[in-house]
Amino acid sequence: MELTLELREESGLQWVLERLTPMSPFGRAAARALRWYAPGEEEALTTELDNVALALELWNAAGGVPAQETPQCCCDAPRLDPSALKDLPSLLRGLTRCLPLFHDIRGSFDRDPENPFDLVELFEIKHFLVTLEQLTMAYAKLPPFQDLAFVPMEESLDLLDPDGRRLPAFSVSEAYHPKLPALRAEKSALERAIREAGPEEKPALLDQRHRLTVQEDLLELEVRRDLTRRLMARREDFLANMETLGRLDLFLAKAKLAKRYGCVRPVLSEDARITLRGLRHPQVAEELLERGEDFTRLDLDLSAGCTVITGANMGGKTVSLRSTVLSLLLCQCGFFVFAQSASLPLFHEVALILADTGPGSGGLSSFGREVHLLDRLLQRTRGQRFFLALDEFARGTNPQEGAALARALVRYLGTLDCVALMTTHYDGVSDVAGAHYQVAGLVREIQGDEGDDPRSRIARRMDYRLQSAPPGAPCPRDALRVCRLLDLEPALMELFQADL
Amino acid sequence: MKKILAPLVGDAPMVTAIGLCKNAGKTTALRRLMAELEDECLGLTSVGRDGEATDLVTGTEKPDLYIKKGDLFATARGMMSLCDVTLEAAALTGVMTPLGEVAVFRALSDGYIQLAGPSAAGQLKPLCASFTALGAERVLIDGAAGRKSLAGAGVEGAAILCTGASLDRNMDLVVAETAHVCRLFASRRPADAGLAAALDRCGERYALFTPGGEPRDLPLDESGLPRWNKLPREKCALWVAGGVTDPLLKTLARRGAPITLATADATHVLAGRNVLDAFTRAGGELVVRRELSIAAVGANPWSAYGWHFQAEKFEDALRQALTVPVVNVNEKED
Repeated sequence: MELTLELREESGLQWVLERLTPMSPFGRAAARALRWYAPGEEEALTTELDNVALALELWNAAGGVPAQETPQCCCDAPRLDPSALKDLPSLLRGLTRCLPLFHDIRGSFDRDPENPFDLVELFEIKHFLVTLEQLTMAYAKLPPFQDLAFVPMEESLDLLDPDGRRLPAFSVSEAYHPKLPALRAEKSALERAIREAGPEEKPALLDQRHRLTVQEDLLELEVRRDLTRRLMARREDFLANMETLGRLDLFLAKAKLAKRYGCVRPVLSEDARITLRGLRHPQVAEELLERGEDFTRLDLDLSAGCTVITGANMGGKTVSLRSTVLSLLLCQCGFFVFAQSASLPLFHEVALILADTGPGSGGLSSFGREVHLLDRLLQRTRGQRFFLALDEFARGTNPQEGAALARALVRYLGTLDCVALMTTHYDGVSDVAGAHYQVAGLVREIQGDEGDDPRSRIARRMDYRLQSAPPGAPCPRDALRVCRLLDLEPALMELFQADL
Repeated sequence: MKKILAPLVGDAPMVTAIGLCKNAGKTTALRRLMAELEDECLGLTSVGRDGEATDLVTGTEKPDLYIKKGDLFATARGMMSLCDVTLEAAALTGVMTPLGEVAVFRALSDGYIQLAGPSAAGQLKPLCASFTALGAERVLIDGAAGRKSLAGAGVEGAAILCTGASLDRNMDLVVAETAHVCRLFASRRPADAGLAAALDRCGERYALFTPGGEPRDLPLDESGLPRWNKLPREKCALWVAGGVTDPLLKTLARRGAPITLATADATHVLAGRNVLDAFTRAGGELVVRRELSIAAVGANPWSAYGWHFQAEKFEDALRQALTVPVVNVNEKED
């Protein structure tokens, strides 16, 4: 499935990815092309999560990144032997010190093997190999990640480091060509003579020197050609190691993120049941924190068919959709999720259809867009298991038809192999749903904060928790109170109240 | 070789050759200095190449630098083929130029090199650090040519100012212009410690202080420029972060009340001689946050445009007008 920018932005995945900090260019490339684990790839995803869990153990043992909350690893992650823990910080530093040193040299290998590397390219390749050697030495002493092994490259490094000093510098040394030592010695003697020479002799000597530099250049070119052919023969191994470095870097970055935000390893559920405890949306939580408010963690159980959420305006319904979608996306990309525990199945596609999105609707009204997106999704996922989150579906048309359409969709989704979550203000939709949640709502009576920011006044009175409600329970009527808290024009409020 | 430049730059860890115009003899001065510092491991680079890179590519006129074995230099990767020393690639800088990334090389033999270093002043500091880490004892920089490109060109340590007939056909004017730049470079930090400290802290584009460094209100207009007619009538100090141009100095001079004008360093003053004179006559004073020093002035009596001055006359006129030592960098070995 394609993670479109729209989906990444609307779910908050983009926000999370912006906080992912791989250290090497290869890790950054891996983060840009995240692997999506589809149903049937549970084993591969488990390996990925095992590796992230191992990386998290390493970070925890090293105490490197300050955690925002106490990280909890509830899972069956490979536990580290406590006796091995004490050396871990320095070993992990061996990795984290090397990773930022890499340059992206993939472009250099994208060439005809007959087109020689220039001196700086050879320097970069040597630098890559020296750094890789240091990194693999540290890596070999760590508890091994699964399916993550480096192709040994000593031979190539020895080729670029004939004297074996592993210094981070490269020159076409005399050892490369039998004719170089003599030529360089001759040139060196000539250069000494030039230093001593008077103005009359100098031009002739410089001329002579010029002829030698041309010869030297040709010999160096020959050497570079030869080195290039031999290095290019190992092109696939170079690229494989860069990819492995990228994966290792991404494991460390995913784990660092999990440590920083106290994320949890998702358990992969066998059936189409989603169980989320203490779920939160990190982006919304951070915005709230800036205003001095707390995010109310959510508990959700979703099974096959459509679950409906009803509740007051500004009660966090959309946030619960976004949090659920974010968890699914993160899990299927091999990340830990922002919850206290999570049991999630794999879907072929995860979709989020929000009621109002910005520009670029391609000439469709908000209603037209919803219907269009829904139709395309249903076409695409025919016969496949998918997850769909809908925000106030069909609210853009007349209420009678809208409610009927929403009811019909809930019924229809119930017949498909999918898990769906829909928020709505329409009565009668929850009657036909598999399950029904209601936002607890404006339950707290508070007086005397009239001057405050209306958002804070609503937040103070709102209980954002999702509570199980019986199917068919009527939608709460909170619009009047919300308008009052938002300080709507009194004359208008009067007319509104009289009309109810 | 008679040492004429080396004693003047002393032990400055960084020496920049700057020119008042093209063909002022910057590279000649640099070559002379390199020859005089033959016992030191040097790190060489250039800054602000503007038009010169094209000359390099077309392979015209610009003289090469001939360096000695063991020296380090930083140049764009695209320049590699124009260097005929035996090269060792030693480091990459991450600085991109139109001719490729700037790399640091070590010369494994004597030979010619072509420099195309970083073009932003801020990139010079880390480069100097990597030169030092690789063993350079002193860094020489082929600096900018032309007043305008000097602004903020990171002229740290000692500078050798090169001037010459290419600046103008009129020798008196060349001498006066050179004296003007030397006078700017002679600007010092404010004598008042309070004002000096206030300037060091200042992060705004414009700010106003009392002579003692107490902040004062500076009314700004919509575009963020000060309302010059609202400046107080008594003595005060005005901080200007950007370039100080003719119109600004004229406005301040016309105001009548004495004012201290503070800039980051002397290269930020782009205003011409006459306007600066008018400003000082009106009681104005120029101070800087960072002092720069000109170790020597190199004079090139030959121009690239067909005319030339009499060498001795030119040097004498410069010596009359300047307090810094004037040297003839072309002086033959004796």
